Amino acid sequence: MVPISYNVRSLAVRRTTTLATAFGIALVVFVLASSLMLGAGIKKTMGSSGRPEHGFVLRKGSDAELASSIENRLVSLVLAAPGVARDSAGAPIGVGEVVLVIAAEKEGTEGQVSNVQVRGTTEAAFALRPEVHIVAGRRAQPGTDEVIIGSRIRGRFKGVDLDRSFELKKNRPVKVVGVFESGGSSFESEIWADIDTVRTSFGREGVVSSVTARLDRATNFEGFESTVETDKQLGLDAERENVYYDKQSEDTMKFVMGMGIVISVLFSVGAMIGAMITMYAAVSQRRREVGTLRALGFSRFAILTSFLIEAFLLALLGGAVGAAFASAMAFVRFSMMNFATWSEVVFSFTPTPKILIMSVLAGGIMGVLGGFFPALNAARTSPIEAMRG
Amino acid sequence: MNIAEIAARNVLRNKTRTLLTMFGVAIAIVAFILLRTVLDAWMVAAEHAAKDRIATRHKVTFVMQLPKRYVEEIRNTPGIKDVTWMNWFGAKDPKNEREFFATIAVDPKSFLQVYDEIVIPPDQIESWLTNRRGAVVGDVLAKQRGWKVGDRITLRGTIYPGDWDFQISGIYSAKRKSMDRNTFWFHWDYLNESAPLRARDTVGWIAARIDDPARAASLSQAIDKKFEERDTQTLTMSERAMNVSFLGMLSAILRALDIISVVILVIMTLILGNTIAMGVRERTHEYGTLRAIGFLPRHLVAFVLVEGMTIGILGGGLGLLIAYPFVNHGLGRWLEENMGGFFPYFRIENTTAVAAMGLAIAFSLIAAALPAYRAANLKVTDALRRVG
Repeated sequence: MVPISYNVRSLAVRRTTTLATAFGIALVVFVLASSLMLGAGIKKTMGSSGRPEHGFVLRKGSDAELASSIENRLVSLVLAAPGVARDSAGAPIGVGEVVLVIAAEKEGTEGQVSNVQVRGTTEAAFALRPEVHIVAGRRAQPGTDEVIIGSRIRGRFKGVDLDRSFELKKNRPVKVVGVFESGGSSFESEIWADIDTVRTSFGREGVVSSVTARLDRATNFEGFESTVETDKQLGLDAERENVYYDKQSEDTMKFVMGMGIVISVLFSVGAMIGAMITMYAAVSQRRREVGTLRALGFSRFAILTSFLIEAFLLALLGGAVGAAFASAMAFVRFSMMNFATWSEVVFSFTPTPKILIMSVLAGGIMGVLGGFFPALNAARTSPIEAMRG
Repeated sequence: MNIAEIAARNVLRNKTRTLLTMFGVAIAIVAFILLRTVLDAWMVAAEHAAKDRIATRHKVTFVMQLPKRYVEEIRNTPGIKDVTWMNWFGAKDPKNEREFFATIAVDPKSFLQVYDEIVIPPDQIESWLTNRRGAVVGDVLAKQRGWKVGDRITLRGTIYPGDWDFQISGIYSAKRKSMDRNTFWFHWDYLNESAPLRARDTVGWIAARIDDPARAASLSQAIDKKFEERDTQTLTMSERAMNVSFLGMLSAILRALDIISVVILVIMTLILGNTIAMGVRERTHEYGTLRAIGFLPRHLVAFVLVEGMTIGILGGGLGLLIAYPFVNHGLGRWLEENMGGFFPYFRIENTTAVAAMGLAIAFSLIAAALPAYRAANLKVTDALRRVG
């Protein structure tokens, strides 16, 4: 086998060409890794909102909290179903909530409005979702016009910031007293208000949008589901919470991934062509060297592998640079409309080791594919002709 | 033979490389055109929106409705020509729940007045007006679902529970690019009579035609002011402003696509620049000879630039040749039929094609600039001495 140091030195000699080609591949890997990271970010955000051990109930036929309305009296009925976990005092852990979308004016724009999700909830939500914790200010006083906001929308909309206020209804300002985090879930893009404030502001008296209940064990869901759904009169539909949130993000996810993949494929064809040009030039410049190597006794296969390794190294360099730049995207927040709720959810680019390794390898593969024909060309070199010049 | 011709012929020296580079440029141009077309397709909604239409909705949330009597009050506002009202119905086809399409309850008569870009054969309009369960569907939607005039269908409500029976009275197309041809329109009266009591006599939004497009903003304000002290306040915007605010929610994606479309041009420039630099390096000896027999540095610059431009033009042209059938017929057709809600009109704009070609030429000149500069600054003796 031809030593790899030979390839490394060859790449180093033609520095400009190597860097130009590697940079091209780096850009492609950057785009690929970024779109995968955004996909992972969406998955993480929506995935951590729902848990398999939570039962989630909507009115039958509704596929989102926005379209659903359940009579208030059914909340206690759902929470009394078998399998629902109870706290130390014996009360079921769960909550009925009203969810709405409001138009809020974006900070720093002139009248640009965007939709934000508002959740009318009670203290029980904190027991149900222990990952929710206040990072600034304090919890809202139950039964008042105080609200808390998710950390990701803080400062994005007019009045949606600590100690400021905005209107849910004319002459009914609500005051932001706290900012919360919830482990990166989509709740961080919501406003949480008192359930009765939301009800009276929006004429939702006597109803909730959804009921969420903690189950003793995730395996208890079937029992819970059949109890909730058996009475057809109630007209309720139960799901695991994580299944619901997965469905909510499905369209957005498909959209981002589809777009990312189409773009990456087109781009990688470009990068492969770049690698091919560079490797063809490398082969033709070193025709004589290759002839010498062949004359020294290196087999055609050794030459082929040698050039493939060179192309792979070249592309790997690009891939590593691209992945490194993509990791920096982790600090970027990406605000996007969730097509299922018509409201804005803020996602982050989430780099996972798998994505980074895969993208670097994808870069390397582009190099190998682009380098294959040039390497084949080199392997076919006849030693006598090559050395004759 | 002039210098430009010699330069252009230089591209034939290494045919494989030229061909590959051309393909590289072509791919980049296809990607660029595709991305710009996605952006344009979104902008269509804002750019082609009717200038003389305004819409009024609930001030705080689209989830809540307006009282039906607001329609009359808006009608009586000076400057308003025609008024119509609608409700988002949000139903699904039980046979195919996965695929989304818009279902909207309208008042047919006033609806067709306000939205005069909707084209329906007169006999179908006639039968729609008289059939209380009649519905009119977009031609794209009808084709996708295989619905024909006269078909009876049942939809399942998500907001208004239960199964709802309809009969297809007509199929519409549109004169305006921004009009979605994937929508299912039906009688508001039918919905109103069967809706639960608390949802009756309420409307989702009110659309109006105005006399003078220039007054859209002031009329909108006047309407909102009218309802300012009532139980339900309103938010009135021109159709264009509404579409723009919808786009605002997608602004992060739009910006990302914008950036990516520039990235692909940078990749293209790298590929091109690399090819030209290699050519120049290989021909160092030749350039030395040319200088020795009296060609000036500017001649060499011209050689290199014209060579780069030739590849740019050929690659760009090839890119356009690939992009048109691919985008306009392959992908575009598919998107219009399957994702018409987002892309009612997915075609390459002429300006995009011209811009792509212009950028291919401009960037090929940029890519050739550095090699050209190097060629021009060669010392004749060094160049001739160099073994390459």
